[in-house]
Order: sequence, then C-alpha cells, then structure tokens
Amino acid sequence: MKHSENIYLPKTAILDRVTDEIAEVKTFTWHFEDEAEQKAFKRFRPGQFAQVSLFGVGEFPTSLPPSPTEDETFFTVRSVGSCTSALHQLKPGDKFGVRGPYGNGFPMEAYYGKNLVFVAGGIGLIPLRSCIVYALKHREKYERIQIFYGSKTPNELMYVANLREWEKAAGIECRLTVDKTCPTDVWTGNIGVVGSLFKKPGTQIPVDNTVAFVCGPPVMFRFVIRDLLDLGFQERNIVSTLERYMKCGVGKCGHCCIGVAYVCTDGPVFTYEQIKRLGEDI
Amino acid sequence: MKARIIDRDDVLKIADLLRGQGYDVIAPFRGRGRDTFFESISDENRERFEIHLPNPYYPPKRFVFPHMERLLTVRKSNGDLLIEPTYRETKRALFGIRSCDVAGIYHLDRFYLGRDFRDIYYEKRRQNLFLVNVVCTTLGEDINNECFCVCADTGPAARDHFDLQLMDLGDEVMVVAGSAAGEALFADRMFKKGTDAHREKRSAILNNVRKHFKNTTSWFSATVRYVSQGSILDKTWEEIGNRCLECGGCTYVCPACTCFTVSDHEAGPDEIERIRIWDACALAGFTRMAGGHNPRRAVHDRRNRRFFRKLAHYFIQRELTMACVGCGRCAAVCHGDVGMPSVVEMIRRATTESETHEAQ
Repeated sequence: MKHSENIYLPKTAILDRVTDEIAEVKTFTWHFEDEAEQKAFKRFRPGQFAQVSLFGVGEFPTSLPPSPTEDETFFTVRSVGSCTSALHQLKPGDKFGVRGPYGNGFPMEAYYGKNLVFVAGGIGLIPLRSCIVYALKHREKYERIQIFYGSKTPNELMYVANLREWEKAAGIECRLTVDKTCPTDVWTGNIGVVGSLFKKPGTQIPVDNTVAFVCGPPVMFRFVIRDLLDLGFQERNIVSTLERYMKCGVGKCGHCCIGVAYVCTDGPVFTYEQIKRLGEDI
Repeated sequence: MKARIIDRDDVLKIADLLRGQGYDVIAPFRGRGRDTFFESISDENRERFEIHLPNPYYPPKRFVFPHMERLLTVRKSNGDLLIEPTYRETKRALFGIRSCDVAGIYHLDRFYLGRDFRDIYYEKRRQNLFLVNVVCTTLGEDINNECFCVCADTGPAARDHFDLQLMDLGDEVMVVAGSAAGEALFADRMFKKGTDAHREKRSAILNNVRKHFKNTTSWFSATVRYVSQGSILDKTWEEIGNRCLECGGCTYVCPACTCFTVSDHEAGPDEIERIRIWDACALAGFTRMAGGHNPRRAVHDRRNRRFFRKLAHYFIQRELTMACVGCGRCAAVCHGDVGMPSVVEMIRRATTESETHEAQ
C-alpha cells in the first residue's frame, strides 16, 4: 500500500534550525527526509496550512508563512498548547511529522491586476507573510501593494528583518504601528491600533479594484473590518483566513465545520462576505 | 434485483454459507430485558439467533468506523522515526442489520469515501463487509416506539445498499440479492424461485407494517427547509439547548455521526500509537482551541450545530442523504427528550407558530 494514499499519514521531517521571533514565538525551518515529499510539498499556495505531528503528544494545524517562491520551508509557531510546546522543545536535527499542504489558500492568480492591501495584527502576519513575499516576487502582476501592520509593543513585531526590507523596498508602502510603548523602547513610528494608520496624512487606500487581506486577533479583526467597510470596501473584497480546532485537516473529523463549510477543505481562506454567512465568531 | 425463497428454518444456513467463505458473521443477540447486542455467530450461540429482536442501541457503525481505532504506530530508534499505518482487513458479515443501519452505512460511505479525500481505514473495513439486511416486520420486537424510518425514508425495507435482504413471509423467507456477491450465494440449492403469490404476500405485509409505526409524521421536509433557510428562531435553539444535558449520548448511538478526535499514546518503549476515537459536538471542548478560545460556547450553539449538520440542504446534497436514518436511538437514549423526532417537532411547531403570528 502506497503511503500517499493514507490521508492521515505524516511524513518524517527534519528540523534544520530554530529562530527566535518574539516572546514564545519561534520560526522552525525544516525539510522532509524524503526529497520527493519536499518537492511535492513545495507546490503549496499562500494561505494553505499543514498538520504537524509531535509523536506521543499529538498533531496541530499551522499556517505556512513561507512563499512557495522561497527555497526553504518553515513554520512560525507560538507556544500555547501541548503540541506547540513540544515543537518548541525540539533541537536542530530532531525529527517530527508533517502532512499537507491543505486548504484552499489565497487565489493569488485571480488577484492579478489588482491593488493589494495587507492588514495584519500581531502574529496574524504569519499567514500573510506568504502572500506578501509571493506578491513581491510577482510584483509586475499587481498594482499598488500596501502593508499595514501593528502589534501591541515594538518587541512584538514579527519578522523584523522582512519588515525592514519591505519598508525600504521600492513599489510597496509598509506602515507599522504599535498599541503602546514603554520608556525603554526605541520607537519613532506610529502609536495606535492598526486602523489608525488608514487615516494618517499621506495615506490613501484605493478602494476600487483592491483586495484587502485581514489577519489578526478577533478584536483587531472586528475593528479593521469596520474601518475597511467605512472606507467603502465591499465585503467580498476583504479576505481572511480562519483558525479552528482541527484534528484531520481533510474534512473528516468534523471539528472545524461551521455553517456549511469545513474550514480545512472549504477554507481556511474566506471572504468577509462568506465569513459573515457562516454565522460564527471569527 | 433477483429474489429467492427459502424455508424459514434455513435462515441460519445463509450464515453458515458466509462462515464457510471465511466471514466473521456478526448478528444481533438478545441480552436481558430490552437489551440486544451484536456478537459473532459461533457454534455455541448459533441456536440463540433470532431474526426479529429490538435493534441494538450500540450501532453497527463500529464495524466500519470503530469507536476507538489505531491509525498508526511510530517507533523511535536512534533519532529515526518509523511511521507505520495499521490496517484491519477482517472479512465481516453483518447478519440481520436493520434497514435504518444499512442507510447509515451508505451515508458513511458517501462521507468517508465520496469526497476529495478517501479514508483508507474506513475503505478497507467497508470493502470486507457483507450486509445481510432484515426487514423489520414485528411490532414490539423490530419495530419500537422510537422507530421513525418511515419518516426518514429508509425503511422498514431498505431499497438498496445491502448484499442480501431477508423478508419474513411466515413459514418462508424471501431473500433479495442487492449485489453480485449476494446473488452468487443463490447457487446453493436451498434457494428456490418465488411466485407471484410470494411477491403479493411481501407487499401485503409491508403495507400492514407501515401502519404500526407510532411516529409517522416527523416533518423532515419542512424542518430541512427551515434549517436551510435559517428561519428557526434563536429562542427555539435555546429551548432545545436548555434540555440538552451535554452527555453526547445521541452522537455515540447515531449510525450516521462521523466526528472523531485523535490522540497519541505510549504503546511500548520508544513506541507510540495514534488512535482515533468517536467525538461528539455536544461536548464543550469540541471546538476549543489551544489557548482557550472557543468560538462555540453556548450549549444551544452546539445543538444548533448538530441539527444543522444533519438537516441542512447543503449537506444533504453533498452526501445524497440526510445524516439521520430514522433509527430512533437518539430518542431512546436522550434524557432531555431532544432526540431527532422531538427536535423536528419542536422546530415545526415553533416555526409554524411564529410564521402564523407574523402573518396576522
């Protein structure tokens, strides 16, 4: 029996290195032991996710922050439950299990010729990083690209190296903000919630022919949606990715089923118009 | 479909034929009181077999989707991982599965095998399963107060998805083949050709049997419409939720429920096993994520979820059948009386009343 026919069977992955991001959040760069698996996996789309196995502890779903156009495969994970804590204990060279990629992902090709607005809060940048890197790699396919990113404090900004690069890069507007600072922080940027960036002098967000990607904690999501709707965005032009408790990732275990959708197979990417119809909290 | 006639005394010979072909033949047996249970037919219990008895509460679903099943084992040695799936391929025949449960297995087939991803564990069990359906014809034995297959359109006589169907005609039994494997058994000399008189007798018995169901007016079609349109009032769901004791019993006895959870366990030194276990959407932790966020907190949200998943038109279209087969088990086990027939009735009343009220 070929292993690829078993939808629940993880493949062995090897941890290459661990990078600290912010408190409790680390990036784990890894590759499949089997080269063919690695090659097959690399066909993922931005916005898809994978199931990560820590044998003896369990399995958890996690988004894919790399763009398929990048060489390396990695996860960025906050230590919050038993599985994620176990992943944080691993050392380079350790082996664990991965299966995927799963889910629909963002239809990046369908957005060719459009303006892209990325709005992220905190670790909500993890899934959007994939889209941003992908869009910048295919820069000529898109019109304006804007990034609005906020975290609670300057120490909680994710992917700092990427942020610096995006701030400097020509052809994209990257605006950062933090909710608050403490006296020891060196922060000369904006202070306020991420929505406050929309109203800054000199900031102009095109509404026509634009897709807005929104990802962040539930409270940030609610306010950003309100702000975008106020700006004149249509609900179907706002996209996000949902998080749910999942056991299988392939539409069988039933845990992530909301309304008429299985988040794992029909999502995790939905338009705000769809999210509203599903009838459950973000 | 081809049909044959056998003497009533020869029914067990069919089980013997299957045993001869290497099947583990499993039939319902009588326990104490109302209790019945599925057990392998052996030389020892063979004589206690009965064709008509109450359907076991613990559904035969477990022979294709066990309540607890090992998915894989992982051995760790010198830092390497040896990940091995574990499959069970026992040849099994369910001898005396009721029509509602045949419909339940067909629903599971559509769910586990009919979509983007095929569940290989289910598939291997299903491929090795032979179904001998018994038509329910005896009031107080096969047919109980909770039965409402006539409303779910699954019984008392299944129309398809079985290998053989047995219909008690009194001194004789009509055997209908629903598959090539079933028809192959007709080669045995005990199977005789039927006459028009047999067919007429079958129709007459079925027409009469239908009148014995206590619950014949479960308004499924109206409820499916209300659920799909979202026209059921929050207060109706709250009322249903208030009566739910959150035991999860309805899902554990349901032949059409599919949800499971997965957990890892130590299986030996440097060896772990990953198992899946039936799960229930009635339980509060069903949607709780690491870190504690739970998008579905209130019990009525969870009740709403269960009945929406079973009755929404979208899912019926996708799986071709409702995820309710009318077996009545949930009605029998629910302490709060919010099994499927009651819920359908509560929804019908509340929604019809509110529509009448609005019209005034």
